[in-house]
Amino acid sequence: MRIPGTVRTAITGVGWAVAGPDFDPATALAGRGMRHKDRASRFALRAAQRALEDGGLLGEPELADAAVVLSSNFGNLGPVCDFMATIATSSSSDLSPMRVPQLGSQITAAWVALEHGIRGPNLTLCNGASGGLDAVAWACNLIAANRTTAALVIGVEPDSPPVARLHAETAGLKWIDGAVALVVESVPHAAGRGARIRAEITGYGKAADERSAIQAAGAAATSRRLVGEPAARFGRCSGALGVVQCAMAVEQLHDEAVLAIAGTGAGEGDETSVSALVLTPPGRAA
Amino acid sequence: MTWDIIGMSAVCALGETITGIHEALCAGRSGLAPMSAFDPSRYRAGLVYEVPDRARPGVDEPLRATRWLVRVIREALSDAGLPSAVPGLPVLVGTTHREMRTAELWWQYGTPLAPADLHFTSALRAAFGTSDVHTVASACAASLYALGMAADLIAMGQADTVVVAGTDSITESSYGGFDRIQAPPPDAIRVFDRSRRGMIMGEGAVAVVLQRAGTHPGRVYGRVRGVGMNCDASHPTAPDPAGIARVIEEAHHRSATAPDDIDFAIVHGSGTPQNDLAEAIALSEVFKAADPGPLVTAIKAGMGHISGGAGLLNLVIALEAIRSGTLPAVDGLTHPIDEVGDLRVVSGEPATGSFGTAQVHALGMGGVNAVAIVEGPAP
Repeated sequence: MRIPGTVRTAITGVGWAVAGPDFDPATALAGRGMRHKDRASRFALRAAQRALEDGGLLGEPELADAAVVLSSNFGNLGPVCDFMATIATSSSSDLSPMRVPQLGSQITAAWVALEHGIRGPNLTLCNGASGGLDAVAWACNLIAANRTTAALVIGVEPDSPPVARLHAETAGLKWIDGAVALVVESVPHAAGRGARIRAEITGYGKAADERSAIQAAGAAATSRRLVGEPAARFGRCSGALGVVQCAMAVEQLHDEAVLAIAGTGAGEGDETSVSALVLTPPGRAA
Repeated sequence: MTWDIIGMSAVCALGETITGIHEALCAGRSGLAPMSAFDPSRYRAGLVYEVPDRARPGVDEPLRATRWLVRVIREALSDAGLPSAVPGLPVLVGTTHREMRTAELWWQYGTPLAPADLHFTSALRAAFGTSDVHTVASACAASLYALGMAADLIAMGQADTVVVAGTDSITESSYGGFDRIQAPPPDAIRVFDRSRRGMIMGEGAVAVVLQRAGTHPGRVYGRVRGVGMNCDASHPTAPDPAGIARVIEEAHHRSATAPDDIDFAIVHGSGTPQNDLAEAIALSEVFKAADPGPLVTAIKAGMGHISGGAGLLNLVIALEAIRSGTLPAVDGLTHPIDEVGDLRVVSGEPATGSFGTAQVHALGMGGVNAVAIVEGPAP
């Protein structure tokens, strides 16, 4: 898989909602519309709102034709384990009917679609550590295949007791608790609505090893690489990793293309495939 | 543009081959049985559609969904005459629960779990040598989402051949969740029937090999004409007839077919009061001008709701119905709801005929919908 050559795509909005000094989940995830929602969905809704705002699409009618592409590996692990424990120690009658929707990996992307009236494809990927970059690439494909005009790409990994146990059992010391979102759209679409292009997505590859992934992305000559910075800041980012990388790259992008690599060498404890994605400063794509 | 299906395989409670599952459906057989691995005292309901493959009855095992996935992909590749080592071949796996059953066993009983067990890259890389694996978790629409994504890859020249699959094993959390919200619990799946009470979970896996049309020298089972995918964005759990009608129309548009071209539809048909009503209303709307309109059926009374693979199972059964000229009836339907009054729902005996083009549905919780249009092989 590679980036389709027929349609140029770009990132036009970024939104962060990650637990830290600037975001206290105890207050930031409370409030109207959050009741009965799982932690992943709450984070994703906050990040989505900020990305749409940043990209100038919040409340726009054209969102009806947009898509949601979400990457997460542990989004529903907490609710699933909670339900299992209740059944094992009691019975199904003690389960909360309001929490049943939380059992599905897809419910977070569905909540985001519902919140903003996004009626195009609603895709959830659980691809391991490469999933965030894969999600960006699939957003480009949905646009190139004429299935949508713009996609909200979200990476989300909520903390919970099962998530903490799984990381602890696999030598993880620190991990992200939050969501990051991007607005991805075609360059002509962004230009048509006067949106600010933050970066063009100009290459993608997925392979068994880093070298092959970089080669598949056509990025052997790209010297500026973004690999370990998310881990230094947040610890393991898992399914959110690639989206975090893109958000960080966009913030740091000057006049040089950046290569994001996810799935190896970042201590994620899930080295099964490697994805590479190239972000190019606006106006510099070949 | 069309895409050829050149290999396929499936496993579920009703059988281990597509022809076997189709024959069982046509004979009105059901895989519904008392639960074997969960403790029945924890639930109101005690019936479920299991794949009976556990080594020791009553003792559950991790990674069953992964095991079936590897098996159906191996069989589908072999069926297509392809080698079992396919480095670089994209494999798109639709799943609702991934390996959440393995996670449950880990959390509650301490069986091992690694982060890489929660998606299918590691297992498929070991079995087939490819790392281009994508675990598509768009609920019970997932395998038809994967089909649409695979068709896009081929259409845009990113691949010539793609494996599309679906797999799920029953999780205790979801079985318990539905047990909690479906009261009294259904004793059978009765799609479109006034007495229907809900969905019963099943499990299993399905795989097809999709290839650029006209490039395969061997047998072609059928062709994908187009896939629509969308989201209702109207309610977190209840399906919306308007969203379903939109995705059907999108599938028709993308496949350049008209309502009159569709010979039959295999609907999602989960047997819940809301699902069947929404699908009936959507079909009546889309096909209101079609004469006589498609035959309509549903197969979940046979093998339960196998979740992520359900849409792809509808698709392979549709191809087998086209090949054999025999379309299974909706099992358990005796008193149809008023909303299917204008539809040609197949009940009682299977329908026979010369079928060319079929429409298959997959609807997921959260209003995630996909519809595919398929046809038999070129004469």
